[in-house]
Amino acid sequence: MTKKLIILSLCASTMLSAQSELEELKALLAQQMKMTQALQKRVVQLEKKQAIQSKITKRQDNKIRETKKQIAVVQTQKEEQPTVQAAATFDQKSFLPDIALILNGSTVARNVPNSTYASYYIPGFSTYNANTPMVIPFNKERGFNFNYAELALHSTVGPWFDADAIFHLRSNSFDIEEAYLTTRALPYALKAKLGQFRSNFGRINAKHQHSWHFSSQPLVFEAMLGSEGINDAGVQLQWVLPTEDTYVMAGFEALQGINDVSFGDTETNNLYIGYLKSSFDITDDTTALLGASILHGKNLYGFSTDIYGADFTVKTALDGYSSLLWQSELLYRNKKTTTDTQKQAGFYTQFIYQYDQNWAAGIRYDDLYKNLDTQPNNLDKYTAMLEYKPFEFTKFRLQYTYDKSKVFGINNERKNTSEILLGVTIEAGAHGAHAF
Amino acid sequence: MPTLKKTLLLFTILSTLTFAKLNVVASYPYLGKIVQAIGGDNAHVKVLASPKRDPHFVIPKPSLIPAITRAQLLVANGAGLEIGWLPPLLKSANNPKVRIGSEGFLDISRAIHLIDVPKSVSRAMGDIHPEGNPHFDTDPHNVLPMAKRIAQKLIALDASHKKVYQDNLKTFSQKWKQFLASFDAGMKSCKGKKVIQYHELYNYLLRRYGIKSVANIEPLPGIAPSSKHTLELIQQMRKEHITTILQDPYHEKKTARFIAGKTDAKVVVLPHDVGSVSGTKSLESFYNTIKERLCQ
Repeated sequence: MTKKLIILSLCASTMLSAQSELEELKALLAQQMKMTQALQKRVVQLEKKQAIQSKITKRQDNKIRETKKQIAVVQTQKEEQPTVQAAATFDQKSFLPDIALILNGSTVARNVPNSTYASYYIPGFSTYNANTPMVIPFNKERGFNFNYAELALHSTVGPWFDADAIFHLRSNSFDIEEAYLTTRALPYALKAKLGQFRSNFGRINAKHQHSWHFSSQPLVFEAMLGSEGINDAGVQLQWVLPTEDTYVMAGFEALQGINDVSFGDTETNNLYIGYLKSSFDITDDTTALLGASILHGKNLYGFSTDIYGADFTVKTALDGYSSLLWQSELLYRNKKTTTDTQKQAGFYTQFIYQYDQNWAAGIRYDDLYKNLDTQPNNLDKYTAMLEYKPFEFTKFRLQYTYDKSKVFGINNERKNTSEILLGVTIEAGAHGAHAF
Repeated sequence: MPTLKKTLLLFTILSTLTFAKLNVVASYPYLGKIVQAIGGDNAHVKVLASPKRDPHFVIPKPSLIPAITRAQLLVANGAGLEIGWLPPLLKSANNPKVRIGSEGFLDISRAIHLIDVPKSVSRAMGDIHPEGNPHFDTDPHNVLPMAKRIAQKLIALDASHKKVYQDNLKTFSQKWKQFLASFDAGMKSCKGKKVIQYHELYNYLLRRYGIKSVANIEPLPGIAPSSKHTLELIQQMRKEHITTILQDPYHEKKTARFIAGKTDAKVVVLPHDVGSVSGTKSLESFYNTIKERLCQ
């Protein structure tokens, strides 16, 4: 019985205990459910928070990115700023033409007073007129002369043309020396020029005074073409022939013919010039250049003037800086007037020794060997010079001239002129290289 | 008769073949050599300047004009070296193909990183080059970039021979790299050497091989030596124990010899271009002569 009782009680107790355990478990479960709910709530809250935070960080990221961008922009602006400063909007500096400024002056000693000198003429070629004083553009005065400030501009003005303008500024005048267009793209080795320019016939006519070897013009050019030479409005066409090693160039010019020493009948354009130039190397160091030209125009009498020109240049390089140059030009003029046909001729020949980069010396002989029957034909001139260039763009020249070609109109006296000249030429700015 | 026809035909074919060659003008001999190496049989090369003369002062002989008139390509050193003589020749040649800025004008200095670029420019500093030192041909390492640029240009002008130019460039590059290896080895012994030079003609070479150029015989570029400057130079050389004077072949050598006599230094005449001294007819022999005279 007791056994049964014990078992029963045990059973009951276990049942009882089982019941209480169940209840405990239920309670636990309830608790845990509450906790999970709480946890879930927190999770949701946290998630909400995170979402907000991520939004914030996103915003922050965006902000950082933007500021970075802004910094970059600022930086590039900083980098670009110097160029922006150098070339402002619509700045046109890079299209400025090449500009060169050349100054030329001299001091002169001469055995003829200034007032007498201004009345000179070359018998048979020019006359003296007291009412129209002659223009002597260079080194006119005894004492100091400021000859000119030359302003030269060069620019490309499109695919087809280059433009050049050369002005001479003096204390009381502004002269257009040259102003012309040159073609850039003509085929068949052709080149055309239009405007006012120095004719390219012969050797010295196209060159400006500061690039001459002597400070004065050759006598034959002064006698037949005046102090300006042929510098006229018109057109020019030049053609380089397709040769192998010998240079051959043919040129043709049609000009107004304003030069009234030989031409000047400008009722219409009257002057036509043709020339042929050829150059070849005799040895590696010796080069010859030959030229022949014809000038045909109408003079102030209304009749024709023909000038035939020939030129001959030989240059030998002794070393890189030293050379010998022999250059000669001859002009023969046939000028018809109302009464007769005037045949006159003259030449110059000059010899230049370039000793080194700094020093050069030269002599020139000028002669008008053929004149009118009634006029003297012993008109000649001797010139010697010594040149010193301390730097490529600075030139001093000492020149002595003995001139037997002048008659002074003021007292109608033929007198030989002696002249000592010390000249200076300064080149500033863009440097145009010198041709042969 | 048939033989006559054949010869005539052959003649026309031959003449068109010679005509088909690309006419190239190079301002200096070293450029002529590079162009010939890349252009090969397709290029007819004419060199304008003589290597015996100062490259700054070439006489613009009219006999040089016809070649420029005919040219399809003009290769210039650039960096201002030809400014005193090439522009008037170009102006007289009437050839729009090789005008500055057109397709047929190649300024080879654009292929080189120029050194000695002046911070400011004034003629008071003498005859300076605003773009930088134009004498980059004295450094053989500059040859390959130039060859590449020339090949590009030849291909652009004559696309039908693209393969030939590419092959020529490849062959030339391989050969040149080998040459550079031996050249560099030979120049090693010169590192740290101090020299003076007449004009800043060898700066690219000297800088490449760690040779220090201390001073110049000319007081300013393009200005002849003065006695004051020469005496200062002698004192400096004695103080710094400089024993090498680099002299170009074309300037007067009197001043260099005078300085040498006062300082026990040696005057070394270095070529500045292919053919400027004897035994420098090829690019290799030109650079080898520099190496031998400077470092051995």
